[in-house]
Amino acid sequence: MIDPLTLNFVTETMKGFGTVEPAGKNRFRITTTPDRLRDAIMHVQAMLGCDRLITVSAVDNSRTLELHYHFTGQHRTVITIATGLSRDKPVLATLSDLLLPAGLYERQIHDLFGISFTGHPSLKKLVLNEDFPENEYPLRKDWKPAPGRSYGGTKERREPL
Amino acid sequence: MTEVIIPIGPQHPALKEPVNFRVVADGEKIVRLELDLSYNHRGIEKAAEQRDFIRVLPLLERVCGICSHSHTTAFAKGIEEIMQLEIPPRAQYIRTIIAELERIHSHLLWLGVAGHEIGFNTLFMWTWRDREAVQDTLEEMSGNRVHYGMNEVGGVRCDLTPAQVRAALARLPLLEERVQKYVGMVNEEETMLLRFRGVGKMTKQEALAYGAVGPTARASGVACDARHEDPYLVYAEIPWEVVTDTHGDVYGRTCVRIGEIQESTKIVRYCLEHLPEGNIRVATPKTAPTGECLSRYEAPRGELVHFIRTNGTDKVERIDIRTPTLANWTSVAMCLTGQNIADIPVIVAAIDPCLSCTSRITVIDDREKKKNAITFDELRERSRARWHAEERS
Repeated sequence: MIDPLTLNFVTETMKGFGTVEPAGKNRFRITTTPDRLRDAIMHVQAMLGCDRLITVSAVDNSRTLELHYHFTGQHRTVITIATGLSRDKPVLATLSDLLLPAGLYERQIHDLFGISFTGHPSLKKLVLNEDFPENEYPLRKDWKPAPGRSYGGTKERREPL
Repeated sequence: MTEVIIPIGPQHPALKEPVNFRVVADGEKIVRLELDLSYNHRGIEKAAEQRDFIRVLPLLERVCGICSHSHTTAFAKGIEEIMQLEIPPRAQYIRTIIAELERIHSHLLWLGVAGHEIGFNTLFMWTWRDREAVQDTLEEMSGNRVHYGMNEVGGVRCDLTPAQVRAALARLPLLEERVQKYVGMVNEEETMLLRFRGVGKMTKQEALAYGAVGPTARASGVACDARHEDPYLVYAEIPWEVVTDTHGDVYGRTCVRIGEIQESTKIVRYCLEHLPEGNIRVATPKTAPTGECLSRYEAPRGELVHFIRTNGTDKVERIDIRTPTLANWTSVAMCLTGQNIADIPVIVAAIDPCLSCTSRITVIDDREKKKNAITFDELRERSRARWHAEERS
């Protein structure tokens, strides 16, 4: 059993990657830029012993599309690496080669938020049905279903049994 | 031999949940597979942004038909953390009791499904009958068998009466006796040993790399359990242990789940016997301040994560739900490589992919054009005849 990480230690270790702040009990968040994201993740893996990716969360805050990579390890502290992408052209290099489970999360985020992950081996639809319109991303804040447009499912009403 | 692509699902006799695999096989061996989960997206995360904290809980409860309490607890404790509320101990104990009963019934259900996938339907019938004892307890406590509706932000909805506590405690010995029988079976029963041992193997390093969670990871020796890593409810103050195994195959996953049933039974007993007096909820503000919370919860299938952001209103700005099954798919895809096609159902079932259950049957007679629903009580009477006989003896 290893002791939980402290704010000082995390701040010291992650110097140069962005601001470190507490995000709840035994949780720290490091806010970084998209181009430093990969290095920051490799750094928390190597220097902070974060060997497990809990999940990748995506949030649309109406200005940017935020990505939060939540990690933990033997020390049981949750380290979140957050970054923001422009809403007009959200593109990020894939991390699925570095973090295997991120492959599926990236596909889900691509479906729901329209973030393109360049270099992803197969960025096909994962959670939205195949006839869901292209270029519509339902979890973006400004998305509304267009009246009259089909979002999948059976077209004609069938008589009940 | 050339490779062939075999589509499996979304409707397939051996897989009960809407998922599609495109299995690339060389003879009987699986080379790789592709995954498509797009048959059941219900837009719950979007819908949750439109509902206030009172109305969002029943919605989140319906994310899953088996771990319904997991979703409401994960959400409620996240919002409570943002609101900085102190939840009364009695409410925490009741939440824990329901959570562990849910784990027992979920694991018994899984054991039945796993038995069914290997053609061992006797086990399926037995475990599902024994599961009724847990379902009865849950129904007595909450009024419901599936969506208990126990949680609300600030505490729980129903209190437990002394009679309910006594009835729940009285059901535990028979359950423990039955589970002891399954412990013996999994180690001696030829059918189970032949189909579970060495199937779907995953090493500790692989489990970590693929991000496996819950019993799937614990069976490979990764001692990850959100109840232990990030204690919530009353797990930090009550005696219990994380169950792990080192086999790393379907057999190991079975051992972990059976061990967890035993551990959960102990937790339920402890909580029922040490249920503190006091209120079951606190008054909550209507709105939550602007904040963010990563709420981790150990659901029966593994770690469930709700990432919640609030914006000062009575609704969430964003809720991102990562279910344990999504985290486990990567490990399934990796585990299946090199295995036999015939082992797909049991390897997939070994992560316990989430499927909804229902407790009513409709008989449709095509020739007579008659539709005949068996009532709930009739169904229960049929399935419980032997249980009653055993209870009496």
